[in-house]
Amino acid sequence: MAVSTIYSTQALNSTHFLTSSSSSKQVFLYRRQPQTNRRFNTLITCAQETIVIGLAADSGCGKSTFMRRLTSVFGGAAKPPKGGNPDSNTLISDTTTVICLDDYHSLDRYGRKEQKVTALDPRANDFDLMYEQVKALKSGVAVEKPIYNHVTGLLDPPELIQPPKILVIEGLHPMFDERVRDLLDFSIYLDISNEVKFAWKIQRDMAERGHSLESIKASIEARKPDFDAFIDPQKQYADAVIEVLPTTLIPDDNEGKVLRVRLIMKEGVKYFSPVYLFDEGSTISWIPCGRKLTCSYPGIKFNYEPDSYFDHEVSVLEMDGQFDRLDELIYVESHLSNLSTKFYGEVTQQMLKHADFPGSNNGTGLFQTIVGLKIRDLYEQLIANKATARAEAKA
Amino acid sequence: MTTIAATGLNVATPRVVVRPAALVSGPVRLNYPWKFGSMKRMVVVKATSEGGISDKVEKSIQEAKETCADDPVSGECVAAWDEVEELSAAASHARDKKKAGGSDPLEEYCSDNPETDECRTYDN
Repeated sequence: MAVSTIYSTQALNSTHFLTSSSSSKQVFLYRRQPQTNRRFNTLITCAQETIVIGLAADSGCGKSTFMRRLTSVFGGAAKPPKGGNPDSNTLISDTTTVICLDDYHSLDRYGRKEQKVTALDPRANDFDLMYEQVKALKSGVAVEKPIYNHVTGLLDPPELIQPPKILVIEGLHPMFDERVRDLLDFSIYLDISNEVKFAWKIQRDMAERGHSLESIKASIEARKPDFDAFIDPQKQYADAVIEVLPTTLIPDDNEGKVLRVRLIMKEGVKYFSPVYLFDEGSTISWIPCGRKLTCSYPGIKFNYEPDSYFDHEVSVLEMDGQFDRLDELIYVESHLSNLSTKFYGEVTQQMLKHADFPGSNNGTGLFQTIVGLKIRDLYEQLIANKATARAEAKA
Repeated sequence: MTTIAATGLNVATPRVVVRPAALVSGPVRLNYPWKFGSMKRMVVVKATSEGGISDKVEKSIQEAKETCADDPVSGECVAAWDEVEELSAAASHARDKKKAGGSDPLEEYCSDNPETDECRTYDN
């Protein structure tokens, strides 16, 4: 069978080669050498500690706004791996690597159609591989991770992932498997309410030829049973839940532009101290607009209270409304406590850096940025802790 | 069956055999065994256009509607709508990526290599 070489009109760097560093080996694994005075009970002291963050979110991964904000807090822009598969879902920056859990689908689009399962179904995902690879990355071993190509719906040849300082696994099932859950240092669940989901999907899909209001609605309805059965229960395991609800400030609003966002933070999580307003553990209702600050319609309203969520003690910080001006943002930031910022105005600065991202003027952007700062804080505390433990073990 | 020309690829030789298993606007798999010495390595050359994904979305919606006309609660119906959702998400990502710009090759090059001479910026 004759096969001719076909050159695409795109630039040459769109053709990709696997793992150019190792030309003859197929699997590229290396192990860092443990330190010389390795006693029986000490930790294996790798040159670098990896922390694993899990993010449960529907519809797409790796390229989402949350990820971009998160990686921006740690510094550096996250980009797809250079010279690799152009349809790779992975994002890599200097400190962070974001892995899309869709890459661990055991069934590709055609397989799922055959077996009549959705991507939400655990039967379509290889949790054993997910656990092994996340464990390997956490302990400092590089892995060859499969690629799920969202464009073709097929599983592409694997790409090499080096263990990063911060590993974020984003997808539908980060907390589904118990073994993977135990590997996570921090987990976040993005809970979008049905009304908001509908409004967002309309905005996203109405430009798409072929879609109509009915088809969008049918699509959401059809996925709902699987979503409620497999994805939703992960909420209870998350250390932080970002709930997005329709606003209460505008009666009968169905555009989903003004949002009420609740940040539900679990109490008692190691290295994680929840954000609070004025007085920790009390119930506060705060409308910053008044004499010192003038806001335009519909304004901003904050709530803070302790609560119970799936039998856990939590603190809930809620923001309803949107920011119109810079000084509203900085005013609000100056009244929040325990933000884990390194300097005054860091939250505002991060929000402004990405003013073009969706949600930059409401609670979604604000809480995503705050969660990013909390994760940075967690990382630094963990590193400092491990360093002192190592020093004590040596002594 | 869409011809190679429609997918925007230049055909280097006049005689081309398109394997029936190849997707309409999908990847064409090339084998360079002399480069890597392993038959398992494949180089996938893609010229996926945005039109390709939009077409897929439209097709999948049609299919889903047909499948669900027979039985609205069957596994096939649910799987079909899940496919629609996945393709819609992919289409919207492709749109965003296009909007974000692959328009200026210098920008792209400089974001990847800021230390080269062409891309250095001086703040003072």
